[in-house]
Amino acid sequence: MAAARKRRARGGRATAPAAPPRPASPPSPLRRLAIPISLGLALALISATDRVSDQLVLTRSVWAAAGALLAWCLVLALQARRDGRTLSLHVVLRPQHYVQAMLHISVLTYWGYHWRPVYDHAWLLVAQLLFAYAFDMLLAWSRRESYGLGFGPFPIIFSTNLFLWFRDDWFYLQFLMLAAGFMGKAFVRWERDGRRTHIFNPSAFSLGLFSVVLIATGTTSLTWGQEIASTLTLAPRIYLFLFAIGLVAMYAFSITLVAGTAAIVLFGASALYSAVTGVPYFIDSEIPSAVFLGLHLLVTDPSTSPRTPVGKAVFGLGYGLGVFLLYAVLGFLGVPTFYDKLLGVPLLNLSVRWIDRMVARLREGERLPLVDAPLAPAQTNLAFMTGWILFFGAMTLAGATDGRHRGDTLPFWEMTCGEGRAQACERLLQIQTNYCGDNAGWACNELGRYYAEGVVVTPDPDRARAAFAQACELRFQAGCLNLLRPDDWLSSDPRPIDYRLLLREAGPNLVDMPEPALLTRACAHGWRSACGDSTP
Amino acid sequence: MRARLAFGLRGQHAVTEPSPVMSPSDGSRPGLMLLALLIAGVGAWMFTQTPSRGGTEPPPGAAPPPALPGFRSDAWLLPDEPLLGFVKIPEGPFLMGGTPATDPGAFDNERWSSTLSRGTVTLETYYLSRYEVTVAQFAAFVVDTGYEPAAETLAAPGDHPVSHVSWPDALAYADWLTGALAAAPNTPEPLRQRLAAGWRVMLPTEAQWEKAARGPDDRIYPWGDTADRARANFQGQTTVPVGSYACDDCPYGLADMGGNVWEWTRSPYQPYPFTGDDDVDTLGDDALWVMRGGSFTDPERNLRTGTRGGGDPGARRPFMGFRVVLATP
Repeated sequence: MAAARKRRARGGRATAPAAPPRPASPPSPLRRLAIPISLGLALALISATDRVSDQLVLTRSVWAAAGALLAWCLVLALQARRDGRTLSLHVVLRPQHYVQAMLHISVLTYWGYHWRPVYDHAWLLVAQLLFAYAFDMLLAWSRRESYGLGFGPFPIIFSTNLFLWFRDDWFYLQFLMLAAGFMGKAFVRWERDGRRTHIFNPSAFSLGLFSVVLIATGTTSLTWGQEIASTLTLAPRIYLFLFAIGLVAMYAFSITLVAGTAAIVLFGASALYSAVTGVPYFIDSEIPSAVFLGLHLLVTDPSTSPRTPVGKAVFGLGYGLGVFLLYAVLGFLGVPTFYDKLLGVPLLNLSVRWIDRMVARLREGERLPLVDAPLAPAQTNLAFMTGWILFFGAMTLAGATDGRHRGDTLPFWEMTCGEGRAQACERLLQIQTNYCGDNAGWACNELGRYYAEGVVVTPDPDRARAAFAQACELRFQAGCLNLLRPDDWLSSDPRPIDYRLLLREAGPNLVDMPEPALLTRACAHGWRSACGDSTP
Repeated sequence: MRARLAFGLRGQHAVTEPSPVMSPSDGSRPGLMLLALLIAGVGAWMFTQTPSRGGTEPPPGAAPPPALPGFRSDAWLLPDEPLLGFVKIPEGPFLMGGTPATDPGAFDNERWSSTLSRGTVTLETYYLSRYEVTVAQFAAFVVDTGYEPAAETLAAPGDHPVSHVSWPDALAYADWLTGALAAAPNTPEPLRQRLAAGWRVMLPTEAQWEKAARGPDDRIYPWGDTADRARANFQGQTTVPVGSYACDDCPYGLADMGGNVWEWTRSPYQPYPFTGDDDVDTLGDDALWVMRGGSFTDPERNLRTGTRGGGDPGARRPFMGFRVVLATP
């Protein structure tokens, strides 16, 4: 309240807080600062855990973050004492914070159960939470605002880490990324509906910004971004899981039209592309699982998205089309395509007021009869949710969500590449490169042949040799022999150990699958030699 | 009322309606500047972290090889000999394989066939390197090409045999040396002529290796028919500089044909009789490639000229190295 009065006295218009601040106890700056100091010390203590102390750079990163926070506390204490200023605090418990946080935690838990690095990351999540609370608090007090204590940092940290985190040797950049998100929330603001509010979804802002930097500097390998984007499917029935999680968010925050429209646009555009070209757009899915996650939990922040039904639908449409186009553009530029779901969100946040104005104009011109539908908003949302459930059910029955996708099978891509289908050879090359990177000797040998023969891709003897060498080191005999042959390169069928990778269908490697079942699966994938071998 | 962007930048651009704008004293302007600085700083820092920045550079640990006595620093540290260490092995037949009748140490995999204990193989002239390829020679290759070896490959002193090399690593070195010798102006004329005629530096076949080790008088060990601790580095702790065990009485004067490190050959590991053909009939099997000569870790039996080891082509071990041959492909 005092801070608000001060702002008014300077001529600015104060932002009306959603919940009236309830300043608690007496104005002792040092006493309030005990909270961020404790958070900073707790952060420093995390460096004693095995997860952090095993890595020198990581330890130093945590120390540096904690040290910066404590130094900031000291400066703030001196300033507050000098100015006789009160550092105030009020409690703000908002469902969009704690419900979203619970949804994020459930995704991390389920995903981490099937991909261990997520659980290994747990201490670093705690570290980020401590940092986020302290940073957000100090930033508010430095701006002479009352700090709203609640669960706000939780969804920011979790949604950031659902899409990107830096490797241990560069983890200090993770703290900087979070700092950018909170600074964006504090400083990049506009007026909307008579309130001064932040423009960008904080996590999407920092993710988008850092994505641009990572792309521009070619440093994606400093992060786990690629692995994160491709390991969600290790969790069985991940689409169904995300759908269920999404229903909670849709019910609680009426974001059905945003997520649903984005999903429908992506399903539709993907199906259209597939019908025209004969090959799937997203290689092995109709919507990549990470995009499906993003359209439920990244783009749907109620504070930074439109509030009218039509506005939400337009917002979702923009996200769907944005992802669709960015996927192609990033692929064309040779940039990792997983950034497709991250780059568009800040731009969409920027378009919110334009969308609001457009809807208002349409409403004024009575060109939006559905806006004033007879149902109450909650009932309308339930109606939209019903439609979304039916649509998702139909997609699932059509095999467009969980389960085998035709793009999962290599023979499909070999066939479509041979037929000259759009992008099929590029996709085949990409898939073989991925499998070779995962140590499938057969895939490395095929990759070597592609580069040696120049049929699928422009000839490149150095890459051919490197791929043959890797195949050979994986004990794939044809790869070794191809290193000795100047031309007429050999190929042979995958070995069982290769099938365990090639047939995983975006799930975990089939390490324990008995060989007969493996061959049956291979036959179903279109490997003719496996059909012969498995026939009694 | 139409709202507008604030960003803390007062009075700029298309302000169409009066609307309260953040004043700089709100802290937005310095905050935005700080945010911009943060992003710019991160971007600049990340630019320096790009793994591939700077093009092809020697990997960590690879330094330009120092000069070594007995090796030519102007010729990739190859031996300072008229043919850079390549020793001529004349054409002709030799008896390959082993039999317990004449060599009690012979292994089963040395038997020629179900009916023959040994076989005759005729080879054309070739040139086998006198020494195992050294760490310094391999480092010259790494520096020249940017090839990425294993971390331990270049750890030993320069005059020791290179080890921790996979079969493809060895092939890559041989291919590079072919091109390097063909292009260098100071390559000895006999070598240049052969390279111009299509000869190549390669890994030896196991027949080429065994013929050079046995010599014309069909020895069990390169130096004779009995094991001798004074003649080779075996049952020891580590490698020794190449040529440490002088062996002027070995066939063709080749060094370390027994002991020091196992030597990769270009022959797939398959039952005798030996053929020079590719092993295209067993593509479904896991690859194994023949290595010869035994190493510093082995008992004397493995140093025999007929002993055949099967090596995983991806294996990089402290006791596995190679030597090269100049021959027609």
